[in-house]
This record gives sequence, structure tokens and C-alpha cells, in this order.
Amino acid sequence: MDVTKILKDSYHVMAKDLLELKRNRMSLAALFLMPLLFLVMFGFIFPTGTTQQHMPMGLVNLDQGQGSNEFIAQLEVMNKNTSFMDFQSYSSVDDAKTAINKGRIYGVFIIPPGFSENITNGKSADFTVYIDNSNPQSAMQIQQVLSTTVSGMNNMKAEANVVQLGSETNQPVNPQTMIFPYIPNVQTTIPGETNYFNFLAPGLMIMIVMMSVMTGIPEAISKEKEMGTFDGMLSAPISQLSVIIGKTAALCTRGFIQCIIILAIAIFLFGVTIQGNILLAFFMLLLGIFSFIGIGIMAISMSGDQASGTMIVNLLMFPMMFLGGIFYPIQQMPWFMQAISQVIPLTYAADAMRKIMLLNAGIGDVMTQILILVAFGVVTMTIAVPLFRKSMTR
Amino acid sequence: MTKNAIEIHKLTKKFGNFTAVDNLSLNVKEGEIFGFLGPNGAGKSTTIRVLCTLAQPTSGYAKIAGFDLVKESDRVRENIGLVAEKMIMYDRLTAAENLRFFGKLYDIPKQKLEGRIDELLELVDMQKWKDTQISKFSTGMKQRINVIRALLPEPKILFMDEPTLGLDPQTTFSIRDIIRDINKSGVTVILTTHAMSEAEALSDRVAIIDHGKIAALDTPENLKKLVSSSDNTVFGIKITNLTSELIEKIDALDCVTTLAQQDHHNLKISANGTNAMDRIIDTIRQEGGSIASITNSTESTLEDVFLAVTGKQMRDEASEKASPAHHGHGNAPKARVR
Ligand SMILES: Nc1ncnc2c1ncn2[C@@H]1O[C@H](COP(=O)(O)OP(=O)(O)OP(=O)(O)O)[C@@H](O)[C@H]1O
Ligand SMILES: [Mg+2]
Repeated sequence: MDVTKILKDSYHVMAKDLLELKRNRMSLAALFLMPLLFLVMFGFIFPTGTTQQHMPMGLVNLDQGQGSNEFIAQLEVMNKNTSFMDFQSYSSVDDAKTAINKGRIYGVFIIPPGFSENITNGKSADFTVYIDNSNPQSAMQIQQVLSTTVSGMNNMKAEANVVQLGSETNQPVNPQTMIFPYIPNVQTTIPGETNYFNFLAPGLMIMIVMMSVMTGIPEAISKEKEMGTFDGMLSAPISQLSVIIGKTAALCTRGFIQCIIILAIAIFLFGVTIQGNILLAFFMLLLGIFSFIGIGIMAISMSGDQASGTMIVNLLMFPMMFLGGIFYPIQQMPWFMQAISQVIPLTYAADAMRKIMLLNAGIGDVMTQILILVAFGVVTMTIAVPLFRKSMTR
Repeated sequence: MTKNAIEIHKLTKKFGNFTAVDNLSLNVKEGEIFGFLGPNGAGKSTTIRVLCTLAQPTSGYAKIAGFDLVKESDRVRENIGLVAEKMIMYDRLTAAENLRFFGKLYDIPKQKLEGRIDELLELVDMQKWKDTQISKFSTGMKQRINVIRALLPEPKILFMDEPTLGLDPQTTFSIRDIIRDINKSGVTVILTTHAMSEAEALSDRVAIIDHGKIAALDTPENLKKLVSSSDNTVFGIKITNLTSELIEKIDALDCVTTLAQQDHHNLKISANGTNAMDRIIDTIRQEGGSIASITNSTESTLEDVFLAVTGKQMRDEASEKASPAHHGHGNAPKARVR
């Protein structure tokens, strides 16, 4: 059978599937709602890069000397600009700890007796910060806020000391160059401010297309098999390849529509900026689909009915979603998870998508990923297509 | 000399260890209407699926319209039309959209296809419904579209698996008329049915298959002679106080080959042996049955043949609801899918 006939039949199958989709209101609604739900969900669950404000913190001053009062006054001045913390005084450490246990405050500053004395005697003035780390997210934020605040205060103190020392010895000094001789000048790949969505959006696009196609293939094929309409196509002089290509093309169209929705939401609702070539991004999506479609076809060929086909696909899809580096950078995973993520096509597709969309990478920059994805696709398809043919004429 | 439209040679289809079609050999002549009869699960649909290239034969071979079933499956598909057990139609598409889609798969040129669609809709009197979605159709309307869908590519051979299942008498007759008409225009028709009268009325030859094997194959007339000849007697008997115990007693007699309960009082019995009638009447009297009348069937029907060659046992009892008859007639109404 010649190629033009195969492609023509594929087109007819695709057109038929899309017409069916158009007539099915429920599927249409799901098509639009799924990406919307995903984005909004992740948008509100995951940290967006801005630090939480007004975290309740306790203060216990066991010193009550001039030094500690000065320290607290400074702490409050520093915090005024940012309002990261809200302070609340407690008379004893035990009171403060009870408040932590009741969840009223996230942590407590404990200034020990003798704090002021240490300052006047030129010793280091130690104090304790007791943090509730049963909530790692806010514990981490408090530590961050704490270290910037304290280093800011140390900085101010050091500047004053240096200026004083300079005037005592009659030497003109620049306290800044004395205290911080090294100043990093940080520049980022993506100009301007970025947020978690910049990281999430490209990966999410490819993931939604993957889910669309992977769950769609077993569904689309077994539905027709069970309805009996498959017999109509297969008793006509068309290649089984046309059925696969046509159905995949219809699912791709669906996936692309969802991608456009994601892109629109990401740009207009979450302020994601796209740097790269959109056409290249869509080419990458297509390649991504090619790389994992074989797995979907294998699933349906081996299972026979819709329920078990969908189950196999879900079983495969979940690890892919989480290990593919869509939500968390792979580099932050333990080594064995990283190893698994190396054999998941989604990893490469998501990586390439991010590079293209955020870093304006050209086709040459993502050649490795492209080659790996093509290899994935070719290998899985060579296994899947004969399996599919056999399962069709069982 | 007439050519063969279909040549089947030792065709076997197994599902795992289960043999659905067992070493089947037969020829269907060009221009014939060939009926497949057989109890539920006999392997009729499986045979048709194999012949339509929808299932791979386990062994054996077949030629359809002169092409090898396996090696030239593409050529086979160009020459066949299929009306399957399940209707081949998309509910969300209109009648015309369905016909158009399948027509395109046969590479029919656009203009010719549109003409053909109108022509066929006319044939089944469905022009009005051309642009209505299938989901709004009744079973009969659906089946009419389903049948003309198979006729779109002008096939040489038409396979029809229970084409009149679940249809009212009007639609049944109109479908039968269509079958006769297309047969007259030269199309070979392979038909399965559980309606004996349908097989008898339509088929040039009938094969009764059971357990995947041919139990009998001949013209309906010859098959009937097979049963009514020899010392077989078929008669109807009316018993006013008919009970199921009595039926069992009669059935247990070794001279009784088939027994069918027709209603509350009437039995149809076919029996073997010279004094069979006497023995049956004696048994009924002994059991206290009162005979109201006895009618001698002058001629046996295809149904008698069917029961005689396939036996009295009901097939896959679990999946099919028994008909009111004491013995499964086989034509218990079963819902068509979709
Ligand atoms: N795909 C399959 N896998 C396993 N067994 C099957 C399959 N298809 C059919 N069978 C079995 O093969 C046997 C023959 O089935 P088939 O559908 O051919 O019977 P049939 O003669 O058409 O019966 P009916 O009159 O009920 O339509 C049945 O026992 C059925 O259970
Ligand atoms: Mg059947």
C-alpha cells in the first residue's frame, strides 16, 4: 500500500475523530478545563518565589539591659521595611514554647541574660533562635529572613565600629570596602524577575500533551473496538498504520489546543515571559508525542480492553510526571531517582522545552535531547506497531 | 461452470485452547445466497470475522473472490462488504457523515460517493434522515444505514451476521428484499441467522454448523427431506393438562428426537421408529395426560432439521436467556448492541 493512500486514510480517520470530539460537549469541556485546573492548582500550591510575610515570631528578653533593648529596636526597624515578621513578647522561654506548640508563633528569639554585658565587654553577643521545623517550608523561610536580617544588623554594627576606629586613629576609611571587599554582581539568564511558573509552564505543556495522548490512545482504540466500529475500518482496504496515525494526529490536535490554553494562562495570569521560538517549541511537543506514543500503543495492544489499558498507562504515567523534572528540578532528587529519570523520555522533552522557551535555545542547543527522543520513539514504535497489528486480528 | 466466490479449506480458529472454528471446508458459489445456521457459540461469527480478515486463522486457508485471505488481505478487503453483529456506526455523526467516512476509506471519488450515498439512502427510504445524528435513530433505522454502509463500495461479496436481529417485521422484510435485490445484481451473500424461516426463504444453500464443524450442508429442500424421510415422524399434539413433568417423561423416550413446546398446550414432536407414535401416546395416557388433538405435520421445517442435527442441548446456557420453548429454539430475542 502506498504512502499517499496511508496518509490520506490517516487524515480521514483524524477528521472523523475530531468531528466526534466536536459533537461531544463533555469531552470538549474537559479539554479546556484540564489545563486550567492544572495550572491554577499548581499555581497556588507551590511556592511562587515571594517570601511569606507577617510570620508570627516570639521575643523573650531575659537580659533587659541597654544592649538588648538596642538590639530589639534595631530588629524592629529592619523588619519594618519588609514586614516579614510580626513580633510578640513573652516573659519566659516556656511560655514561648507553649505558644509554638499551639501553633501561634513559628519561632522565638531568646536573648539570654548577660547579652548587654557581653557587648560592652567586647565579647560576642550570642542569642538563640528557636524554630518550629515541623513545617519545613516556613522554617526555611524564617531561617532565610533571619540570616538576612541578622547579617544586615551585623553589617550596620560593623560599619559603625569601623568608622569609630578610623576616626580614633585618624585614618580616612571606607567601611564598605573594609567589611565587604568582595562584591558579586549577579546576572541571570532570564532578564527580569522570574517565578516558579517560568520553570513549570514548559514542562507542564509537554506533560499535558503526554497525558492527553497516552490516556487518549487506549481510550480511543478500545472504545471503537468495543463498539464494533473498528471492524468497519479494518474490513476496509486501509492500513492499520493509518488508524494509528489518524488517531494520534487527532489526539495531537487536542494536545496542541491544550498547550495554547496553558501558554495563554501562563502568560496572562501568571506573568510568564516567553523568550524562545514558539515554532520550535511546538516542534518539540510533536517530537515529545512521538517519543511516548509507542508506550501507549503497547499498553493497549497488550491489555485488550479499555479499563486495563488505561490502568497500565496510568501506572506508567505517574512516575513519569514526578520524575520527569516537571515540578522539581531533577538535580535536587536523590541519585537513584535521578537514574530513573534518565530513562524517561519526558525528562528530555521537558528539559528541551524549558531551554527553548526560557533560554531561547536554538535547535542546535537541544540536539542531544532531540536525538534521544527520536531514538526513544523509534524503539518503542518498532515494538508497538507489530504488537498492535497482532492484537487487532486476534 | 460457475466460479467459487469463496473457497475455504480446513480453516481452523482457536482462542487459546478453545477451538471456535474446527477444520472447516466449504465453497460458496458466485451469485449464491449462503446461509449459516447454528446454535449460539457455534462459531458462525468467528468464521465471518476470519473471512473478513478481522481475525487471523490459526491454520488452513481461504480464498475470497480469488484472493488469498492472509497473503492478499488488502485485495480481499476491496471486494467485501460487512454487516457485523454489532452495528458499525458512530453515534455522534449523522447518517451522511458515517457513510462519507467509510466511503472515503474505499477511495471512492467524491462526486461518485455523494451520488452513491443518495442512491442508497433512497433504496432504504431514509433520505429524510440524511443529516440526522445516528443517536436519534431507532434500531430499525440504524440497521438500514448499517446495511447500506456495507453496500457503499459495491462489494462482490457481502457478509451479513444476523442482519435482522431485533428488527420489527416491516424492517425485517425490507432488509430481506434488499438482500434479494443485491443478490440479483450479482452479489454473493453470506448470511447468518437464527430465524429459520429467513434462512429458508433467502438461502440457496444452508450450512448448519455446530462446535465449529459443519453438521449439514445442502439446499433447504434437501435438508428437509433428510429429516422427513426414513422412519421419522413429525407431529403436533395438544394436551389440555400439560405439565413440565409430562414433557420430561416424553422427552426421556428414546424414540423422541426433538421436542418443542409451542405454548401452554401444544407440543411439536419429531420421533424415530415405526411404533414411535404409539409409544408416545401410551406414555401420555399413563401419566394421566388428556390428548385433545393430534396434527400430523406433512412436512418438516428447517427448524426440525436444525434440532435434529445439532441435538437438544442448549448452548452457553449462562449467557443466553432460554426461549419459552422447552428446548432452545436458538432464536431467543437478544438485544442488539448499540
Ligand atoms: N475473541 C474471542 N476470544 C475468546 N473466545 C472467543 C472470542 N470470540 C469468540 N469466542 C468464542 O468462540 C465461540 C464461537 O463464537 P461465535 O461468536 O463465533 O459464535 P456464533 O456462532 O456467532 O454465536 P451466536 O449465535 O451467539 O452469535 C464462542 O464460544 C465464543 O465464546
Ligand atoms: Mg454470532
